[in-house]
Amino acid sequence: LGESTGLPLSALSHPTPVTSDQVEHLHRRFKQLSNDKPTIRKEHFDSIPDLEFNPIRCKIVQAFFDRRNLRQEEDGLVDEINFEDFLTIMSYFRPIEPNMDEEQLQRFRTDKIKFLFHMYDSDHDGIITLQEYRNVVEELLSGNPHLEKGAARSIADGAMLEAAQTCVGPMGPNQVYEGITFDDFLKVGSGGAVAGVLGAHSVAPCA
Amino acid sequence: SQGIIERDETTMEKEIAGLHRVDFEFSDIFYFCRKGFEAIVEDEVTQRFSSEELVSWNLLTRTNVNFHYVSLWLTVVWGVGVVVRYCFLLPLRFTLATIGITSMIVGTTVVGQLPNSSVKSYLSELVHLTCSRILVRALSGTIHYHNKENKPQKGGICVANHTSPIDAIILTNDGCYAMVGQVHGGLMGVIQRATVKACPHVWFERSEVKDRHLVTKRLREHVADKSKLPILIFPEGTCINNTSVMMFKKGSFEIGGTIYPVAIKYDPQFGDAFWNSSKYNIVSYLLRIMTSWAIVCDVWYMPPMVRKEGEDAVQFANRVRSAIAQQGGLTELPWDGGLKRAKVKDTFREEQQKNYSKMLVRNGSVG
Repeated sequence: LGESTGLPLSALSHPTPVTSDQVEHLHRRFKQLSNDKPTIRKEHFDSIPDLEFNPIRCKIVQAFFDRRNLRQEEDGLVDEINFEDFLTIMSYFRPIEPNMDEEQLQRFRTDKIKFLFHMYDSDHDGIITLQEYRNVVEELLSGNPHLEKGAARSIADGAMLEAAQTCVGPMGPNQVYEGITFDDFLKVGSGGAVAGVLGAHSVAPCA
Repeated sequence: SQGIIERDETTMEKEIAGLHRVDFEFSDIFYFCRKGFEAIVEDEVTQRFSSEELVSWNLLTRTNVNFHYVSLWLTVVWGVGVVVRYCFLLPLRFTLATIGITSMIVGTTVVGQLPNSSVKSYLSELVHLTCSRILVRALSGTIHYHNKENKPQKGGICVANHTSPIDAIILTNDGCYAMVGQVHGGLMGVIQRATVKACPHVWFERSEVKDRHLVTKRLREHVADKSKLPILIFPEGTCINNTSVMMFKKGSFEIGGTIYPVAIKYDPQFGDAFWNSSKYNIVSYLLRIMTSWAIVCDVWYMPPMVRKEGEDAVQFANRVRSAIAQQGGLTELPWDGGLKRAKVKDTFREEQQKNYSKMLVRNGSVG
């Protein structure tokens, strides 16, 4: 009688402070998405209607298969992920627990911001270039037929300029701004707000 | 939900406005990111296509997803339950069902041989009613009909929410209808072919355009003739798990005529009536039904509705749907039942993108 998740918490290679109830819930969800198979591929995310609403759906799905988010040494994307990988990605969205110390908190926040950095940096070179940034803005605004073609681009350009000024200071006429590195991103991305939207401000409801 | 992510109900506008005052910022992507993750962890629609989870266990392992060993005593009780259900109830029900289905097929075929006349109609009604009643007994169905004075009249269209193929039997237990539905194969197909000889049911192939026009034509003829049996339609077009009502297809509401809404709510404590057609075929579904404790449901007949002046078919359909949802205590979802099998239309995604960009433009970030 009975079924277990088949996955003892201790087997996970890094600390994931989630309760076993939450893990079970996620496991059920995983099985639902994967049609009871042990791994999920990109196509499996097509079956989520609520996700279709989202303009950056592709980037979100891709984040699941990004080796950097999966804490793997190599670069690039994987084809399929198992439940452990799924949990790893989910853990970026954990809310802050009240009993965390300062160091944990800092690491937590950095992890989340890094996750978002990876979303912008699609060629995995550690820098968000102007083109990559434009891509994201265009995706976000792509549904609006009233916006002129150039508008998305000028928004992106404006934001990059501001980022450059914040990070590098006033530049000479021949200086080229390569792109936003992760450290710059930390400065520009208004870290507190970032962590906030990702759920860091709400306490985990352990129902 | 006991989610890992606390689902946040603030609107997009408020949340992004909270992040910055003007100008596009890196932060905007975060809102959509989070929404995306919420959807991945739990989405409203897929929830409706799997069986409702019960708060307390009813000794059926199939309804308890979190099943794990609790105590010896409980296991013994459960074991006794299994024996009762499989060795005692099942054979009884199976026999009754066989009798019922065979009578239905034989009876309607025989009646179908007669020339069209009032005698034929009378006999057809008799056969349908009797066999329905046998079949309801075969499922140990306990049905409470409410507001019988609102029962659908001849020449009307009866509209109900759909949970399983049993819905039709539940309703025909109490009256006769001309049914409209999708053609199936197998045993169901045999029953459909037999019954259509005796009574003018409409079985159609959804993918056949020709068939769709035929249905509309039939409905129109029907509504014009007050001597015809009320037509029974399930406008959701597919089985939903009885916790919500999905979008009603507007076809039946375009015809005009009087609509008689009916709400059906099953009590999940005794047995789960929902047919998850992508998971189970009809035979294994019936087997599950017949090894449950019972099928207990409430049927509410509601006062007739007609299309108002200036109301289009979609608005009318939504009005009827709200009434049914309210009566049955079900939630309303704006989604199409077809999502069980197909993807969301691109128009939905474009809507969201449009909203976001409108907001951005309004904030003066352009130019």
